Amino acid sequence: MSALLIAENLTKHYDDDVALDDVSFDISDGITGVLGENGAGKSTAFKIFLGLLQPTSGSATILGENASESVAVRSKLGYMPEHDCLPSTVSAAEFLTHVAEVSGLPPTRARIRAADTLRHTGLFEERYRAMGGYSTGMKQRVKLAQALVHDPAIVFLDEPTAGLDPVGREEMLALVRKTHREFGISVLFSSHLMVDVERTCDRIIVLRGGRLVQSGDLEQFTKDAETVFIEVDDNRDRLVVALEKRGVLVTSDGHGLYIEGSDESVYDKVRSALVESEAPLRRMAPRRGELTELFRRDGEAGQRDREPDPRDGDADPGNGKAT
Amino acid sequence: MTDVTAVGPAGSEELEGTVFDIGYQSYAGPREGRSRARWAVYKDGLRSALGLGRGPRAKVIPWFFITILGVIGLVMALIAGAVNTYVGPNAAEVLDLPSHSDYYGIASIVFFVFAAVGGPEMLCPDRRDGVINLYLVRPLTGSDYISARWLAFFTVMLSVAWLPQLLLLAGLTLSDANPGDYLLENWLDIPRLLTAGLAMAAYTTSLALFSASFTTRRAYASVFLVGLFVITTPFTTGLASQLAEDYEGTAGAWVSMFNLSNIPVHVNDLIFGEVSLITSVAPAGEFSGWILIGWYLLWTLVPAGLLWMRYRKLTP
Repeated sequence: MSALLIAENLTKHYDDDVALDDVSFDISDGITGVLGENGAGKSTAFKIFLGLLQPTSGSATILGENASESVAVRSKLGYMPEHDCLPSTVSAAEFLTHVAEVSGLPPTRARIRAADTLRHTGLFEERYRAMGGYSTGMKQRVKLAQALVHDPAIVFLDEPTAGLDPVGREEMLALVRKTHREFGISVLFSSHLMVDVERTCDRIIVLRGGRLVQSGDLEQFTKDAETVFIEVDDNRDRLVVALEKRGVLVTSDGHGLYIEGSDESVYDKVRSALVESEAPLRRMAPRRGELTELFRRDGEAGQRDREPDPRDGDADPGNGKAT
Repeated sequence: MTDVTAVGPAGSEELEGTVFDIGYQSYAGPREGRSRARWAVYKDGLRSALGLGRGPRAKVIPWFFITILGVIGLVMALIAGAVNTYVGPNAAEVLDLPSHSDYYGIASIVFFVFAAVGGPEMLCPDRRDGVINLYLVRPLTGSDYISARWLAFFTVMLSVAWLPQLLLLAGLTLSDANPGDYLLENWLDIPRLLTAGLAMAAYTTSLALFSASFTTRRAYASVFLVGLFVITTPFTTGLASQLAEDYEGTAGAWVSMFNLSNIPVHVNDLIFGEVSLITSVAPAGEFSGWILIGWYLLWTLVPAGLLWMRYRKLTP
């Protein structure tokens, strides 16, 4: 699968501040989550790919073109900014028609696309109302609609769930999934909420302090965080001792035991420990971990390994924030 | 899929139809790139300046000023027509009533205030609402954007400058006993009024948009511009007269050059070859035509150039 977007040794400095530091990755078709706390370099990376910023060094290639040189390629890109970007006195239908024309569509087709896109994003009934009277959820939908109205090949969504209540957030995440699965548009989705990325994306890129920390398929990340859950009727303490004797890391939540890893050798050790401790097994099942688990462990390991860095901030991975 | 049953008139057969939701359709039509993008921004600029496609409040201010400017032209035409009819043929010309050469001088303050109020509408909301970010991620550069906006406002200002002059021309022509002869005798007024209108529109557009580029608040830009156009007039007029009386040399004339309302009117005077009412007392009129044109170009091209440079930086 060819890459839609390639970053090669991408670096961006703002005077003495380093926003991106020698970052390389590539992104192909699908939904890719870009995770990182505020100031991690997500928005800077987006702006470089959208042609709004020139990198200090390195290159950003999008759809085979140099992002900061090709203006034409932008007709195939969509962007949903994090912050407000909607004029309050204009209706959604008029605004979308206008931005579709700015994307290069002829007026008649722009009008049709605007109506279609508003229907797909759930705003068809409200399309002739001035946007100043819209709720936050409706504004987020218009922001998404304007990014999709010209049928881009790839759309950049910068914190699309920001400011939404739980229901609005669910609906927005469903729309993001629909954007790729039904509309066939690749999505680059930035968030500092790991749970949003986990539930929406196929792949992730993790940035921290302008550096690339992780990248790869989401399935692989969650597989890495897989555990085996065991519940026994009796002799639980003896089972723990037997497992630990075999070098197995065990944690307990009061109901059962969680054993890290899910490969064959772990199951062999569990079987031997169950026999030795004579614990009657009620339930044993693999359990796919959450991204938060993985990054909590990585964060703790990283914290031990490195010197304190003020740019890392105080994000709490336990609360679902990227570290 | 939705089933729809339409019931026909009594006695007719019931019609049944099915509406299919064909889902999302990819766009396979033409993409016209930068040229379409520039045209769209230009068109949107025209609509914003005139309040078209906006609520009634957005229409009040531009159309109020357009009406006032039109009424000034119409009143001048009616007066000239009445004088020609009741006093005698060519009486308006003999009595030296205000005509094409005087129009921009008479209407300049209203024209400038319209520019001060309408110019910020071109740029401030886009930056305040963040719409500019949506433009610049499309096939449009900062230079394209500002050029399209400048041209849009220039078109509006040009139309507003020409319309009353054309009304006046129509009034003067039709009030003459021989309209054909009037046009033959005064045909030079047509290129003159068109050129003077161009000069007025270019000057006000550049200054208004340049000032608007420094703030996201329309009101701040408008107040600043009104101050610039209106307040410099009494200030420079008084000081220039005083200096001209007290000192020899051109100090008074140079101070008078900073009367920003008069700068394009001096050019209007050069185009028509007559001094209009408001510049007749301005010491700057002593300067040669080249100095006056150079000064006009400085105040038109420099703000336009700086404005272009400010927006060019928005995209790499």
